Amino acid sequence: MRVLLVEDEAPLRETLAARLKREGFAVDTAADGEEGLYLGREVPFDVAIIDLGLPKKSGMELIQDLRGVGQRFPILILTARTSWQDKVSGFKHGADDYLVKPFHVEELLARLNALVRRASGWTKPTLECGPIVLDTTAQTVKVNGTAADLTSYEYKVLEYLMLHAGELVSKADLTEHIYQQDFDRDSNVLEVFIGRLRRKLDPDNSLKPIETVRGRGYRFAIARTDSGAEKAESAPPAE
Amino acid sequence: MSRRPLSLQARSLFAAGIALAAFLGLTGFALDRAIYETLRSALAERLQSYVYGYLAASEVGRSRRWLPPEIGPDARFDQPDGGLYAVVIGPVEVDGVKAEQWRSPSALGATLPTSEKLAPGERRFSGPLEAGGIKLYVASLGVVWNGVKLTIHVAENAEFLDDQLDVFRRTLLVYLGGLGALLLLLLLATLRWSLRPLRNVATDLTRVERGERERLSNDYPLELSRLALSINQFIESERLHLSRYRNTLADLAHSLKTPLAVIRNQLDSGESGEELRWTVLEQVGRMDQIVAYQLSRAATSGHTTFAAPLPIEAHAEEIVGSLEKVYAERRILCEFDIDPRARFYGEQGDLLELLGNLIENAFKWAHSRVLLTARALPGRDPRRGGLELVIEDDGPGIPPDQVDHLLQRGARGDERVQGHGIGLAIVLDLIKAYRGSLEVSRSTVLGGAAFVLKFGVG
Repeated sequence: MRVLLVEDEAPLRETLAARLKREGFAVDTAADGEEGLYLGREVPFDVAIIDLGLPKKSGMELIQDLRGVGQRFPILILTARTSWQDKVSGFKHGADDYLVKPFHVEELLARLNALVRRASGWTKPTLECGPIVLDTTAQTVKVNGTAADLTSYEYKVLEYLMLHAGELVSKADLTEHIYQQDFDRDSNVLEVFIGRLRRKLDPDNSLKPIETVRGRGYRFAIARTDSGAEKAESAPPAE
Repeated sequence: MSRRPLSLQARSLFAAGIALAAFLGLTGFALDRAIYETLRSALAERLQSYVYGYLAASEVGRSRRWLPPEIGPDARFDQPDGGLYAVVIGPVEVDGVKAEQWRSPSALGATLPTSEKLAPGERRFSGPLEAGGIKLYVASLGVVWNGVKLTIHVAENAEFLDDQLDVFRRTLLVYLGGLGALLLLLLLATLRWSLRPLRNVATDLTRVERGERERLSNDYPLELSRLALSINQFIESERLHLSRYRNTLADLAHSLKTPLAVIRNQLDSGESGEELRWTVLEQVGRMDQIVAYQLSRAATSGHTTFAAPLPIEAHAEEIVGSLEKVYAERRILCEFDIDPRARFYGEQGDLLELLGNLIENAFKWAHSRVLLTARALPGRDPRRGGLELVIEDDGPGIPPDQVDHLLQRGARGDERVQGHGIGLAIVLDLIKAYRGSLEVSRSTVLGGAAFVLKFGVG
């Protein structure tokens, strides 16, 4: 998952970014609203965390501008203000969720995951495609009820593919959304991950969960069991 | 910089002054015209009587010529330049000398506009006429007197009439001027008298500012009593506000001391490692809640004195729109049953806080449905209606034995009922500030909890 973090308080920004990276997010950080807007326009993020009190351009303006240029990724507001008037105004500007400072990082992670999931049309925290069940809360994967032993990166690749089950995901998408910016982007590494995933999920090669679309990318081929009909339900209105 | 607007007294004086000047000016003008006309017609009559006077005192000689009288009907006719002149045109005979014109001794050598002959029976009064440097009023009569055809002109110098007019005008000016001055003084006195309550309000307000008085008194005239009442309510609510800030600040400081003391004790007792970490975490969480609660409490207003009526639906719509994003996965259906006449008299922030906390609470506990009902009720203040808000859900509800605990909990942020966050504490504070009431019961429609709020109801 690629996340944009816009926060002017350096210690909070850095510890939060480090924690998000440890949790497997690809993180881009910005210290002010203008930098945030630049990144937000250029990079295909899955979710953004935006502090409201930012220098150069306030968080509200940043959200409004991002929505204005057609960016639809979910946005979570971080704010020290607790009043409903502030919350309502944030949602009106195009935010999808809010978290009041100080907060527990676990809560932030849970909300980010939920936002990303909702934006991809999944309504429950467990992604279910036939016999393969991925629990985003516990970060575990079960195949036919048996736990599959995945590494953190394998889990992230599978999560991304399953979030977009049925859709074509290019290698570039996958590397951009999974890896850190400084990570080795050699596509061979990705192929190795996919190969290992296939063996772990489908040792006898009967399910064929991950399809290779030659020259274009991958597709998670097993249909969603959870009705995925509400795609873009939580996508914010363009304002 | 704009100039200060004129004082009320100056405005009233200015307006009344203009009206007074117009009234007195027109009155003066009308009186002047009237007296001039009166004097002029009196003059015409007098001159006419001189004409007949001359006729009556004269006779016609055997030569069929008019013989002038020895003395005129007024002594001034016989003095040179006496101001009254008589000219008779026609066949006359003076001391045996025949002539076609006779002049009174006063008219000898004077230039008079009196050469015209009038037909018998024609009479005329004209003036002031300018002749030879003097102004005259002239009465003329054409007559056949004992068979002699004559035209008699009698003229008076306009000075006499002008002098009378001058005297009258001076008198008029003195009286009207005096009247105007008197009226202005009276007006000034009236103004000062009727504006005095306003000055009293200002003085009283200064005293309130200096702290010499608690509030404005109640004995103002009718027109000001409403203003004074509003100012008093404002002062009262500001005072409450201030005391609430003070209390909040004190509560905040005091309630932060407990977790600080816990941490310090742990440090003093040489605690370290995992146990210390847990203590600090726990106390930080507690301090966070205290700060959040006291902040919201300080931000609530409870102002009703000058509050505009707020419609419910638009604000509820905003709240529910936000909550539907946050609780998207719960797929809760929130229905409204809102009387369009229902109004909340207060600050918008407070209404959002009330609705936000209660509806979010309902979203948290609901199984799948939330219902917001708003009704307009007859109010205790006849100019403002009352309001009933009901927020219901189809969740587990609140057991009756917990309701009292919920409603009677202390005002401090760290004594909260489990599961109902600081939101409910804020709601309770707001209800108190707006002198409303809250009842928690079981929803008859949905089966879960029902929060019934009433504001401004008798």
